[in-house]
Amino acid sequence: MAGSRRGLNFNVLGLARWLFLAFLLAFTALPMVWMFSTSIKTEFAAIQQPPVLFPAEPTFGQYTTLLSPANPTGQQFLGYLKNSVWVSTATTVLGVLIAVPAAYAFSRFSFPGREPLFFSVLVRNMFPVVVFLIPLFILMKFFGLIDTHLSLILTYLTFGLPLSIWLLKGFYDNIPPELERAARIDGATRFQAFWKIILPLSIPGLVATAIYAFIQGWNEYVYARTFINSQNLMTMPVGLEKFFTEYASNWPGLMAASFIMSVPVVVLFLVLQRHFVRALTEGAVKH
Amino acid sequence: MAIAEAPALAVRRAPVAVPARETLGRRITRHWADYLYVLPALLVMLVVIGYPLVYTVWLSFHATPPRTGEWVFNGTQNYQDILSGPRFWRITMNTIYWTVGSTLFAFILGFGAALALHNPFRGRGVVRALLLIPWVVSAVAAAYVWRWILHSDYGLVSGMLRSWGVIDRPLVLLDSKSYVMPTLIAVNVWKEFPFVMVMLTAGLQTVPEGLLRAARIDGASTWDQFWHVTVPHLKGVILITTLLLFVGNLNSFTLVWLMTGGGPANASQLWITEIYNIAFRSLQYGMASAFSVILFIIMLALGYFYVKALTMNAPRREG
Repeated sequence: MAGSRRGLNFNVLGLARWLFLAFLLAFTALPMVWMFSTSIKTEFAAIQQPPVLFPAEPTFGQYTTLLSPANPTGQQFLGYLKNSVWVSTATTVLGVLIAVPAAYAFSRFSFPGREPLFFSVLVRNMFPVVVFLIPLFILMKFFGLIDTHLSLILTYLTFGLPLSIWLLKGFYDNIPPELERAARIDGATRFQAFWKIILPLSIPGLVATAIYAFIQGWNEYVYARTFINSQNLMTMPVGLEKFFTEYASNWPGLMAASFIMSVPVVVLFLVLQRHFVRALTEGAVKH
Repeated sequence: MAIAEAPALAVRRAPVAVPARETLGRRITRHWADYLYVLPALLVMLVVIGYPLVYTVWLSFHATPPRTGEWVFNGTQNYQDILSGPRFWRITMNTIYWTVGSTLFAFILGFGAALALHNPFRGRGVVRALLLIPWVVSAVAAAYVWRWILHSDYGLVSGMLRSWGVIDRPLVLLDSKSYVMPTLIAVNVWKEFPFVMVMLTAGLQTVPEGLLRAARIDGASTWDQFWHVTVPHLKGVILITTLLLFVGNLNSFTLVWLMTGGGPANASQLWITEIYNIAFRSLQYGMASAFSVILFIIMLALGYFYVKALTMNAPRREG
């Protein structure tokens, strides 16, 4: 009897599990699928009722408009894209350059004040972005940085740094210090030991940190909206908002723009997510 | 990306014991080179965080009329104005509703996903990766696609329900005072449940299989195993994850701002969107700063629990 009860129990749970997963997949995928489906419809087909998933006459017109520099809309859009690539890349490179030594020091050295300093870096994550928006806006204005990419890069750096430092520190903690000690005995300086031995071993952590910083920069909206006024300096998220207000009824165009904006980060993340998730979970949960 | 709020962890590997007689000053000079490594990070943090923080507090005690540009000390007037403002309790209730609702449902869904994906099956990696997508997609793109899906006249949801005969009038969600909050919460849950999934997937991997087997041998049901073995083991991770979600939601701006802008008639106005309005629509920096300080104090209280939760959790990590 017990056996059959367990069997039944298992089946009910198993079924519930599959239904739940199916629901989750649908819930997750639906907006992305609908985004793409709308983007290949004509403006007229997009508002047809009842809505259909596969348009009878799919068109990639929106994409060619957005991605061709020949027309003003495309020119504008490519400009946003270029700005986003620049700001995100600069943030990523600078972020890694700053985070690596800091994480290494927090992991290996025992200077006074190490723990309070480490905590003060982490505490950044408790602060609401809007709290910093006003003073930073005034600060940037004071230094004449409003309407420059530098204002965004500086701000995004601080968003990314705490997590980057913490992720990388987790990586360095897991590398046995004996490796450096051996290198030191062989005559390497402290910096050489770090550069030649530790850095190559922490490449997965660097990749994770870099993806994170890049996605942050790519997606950020609030500061980009507040600090940048000139249209030719705007990044994608703000550009998308501008699109929306300018071409309010052109849903296929807006969805195509959203799709183009989402593809790079989604692909980047899907390709590298294993690294990322592992790095995150090793630091956050395991240790 | 809720993960922005993720860091955790007390510093382990206590410093090597230093002879007790050495003074702090000497220790600092002996380690001077170590500081060079952390200096760039600290400088950036100091300029972009330390300074603004102090400045916000200072500003919150000043009247900052946008016209004259002359900022005058006015004591706690800004705070009084906020707390007695006609909308204050309304948006406070909205904020609580939004934060608690989002956190709760994102947690349930994310934990459920982690559990459902715990046992391996063919294609599990793909499913897991797909479920992570909403988390990476920009909040701006997410806001617009959901606006489009939920559009009352041409949207997918309204259109399908009508063609199936479930409703006979356009379904108004984002423009309805009573439906706007639940709808926004649903979209927010879509965006952030993957974060919970990631955290708890990792947590589940640390539950010792032997313990579960022992419980099974002792005749514990699936539920008993879950409730008496898995959940207690995950307590630390659950605590950190919910806290991070909570703070993330209290701070989240973009989705609500772009989907409703706080409307209709302030039905979805939150503290964060209100602060933005006060600062950048009405240009009352002093007032907005005071509001930020209030929010900041709440964060600080939460941060205290956060650190406590982390240190409480720390000893087990050693094992």
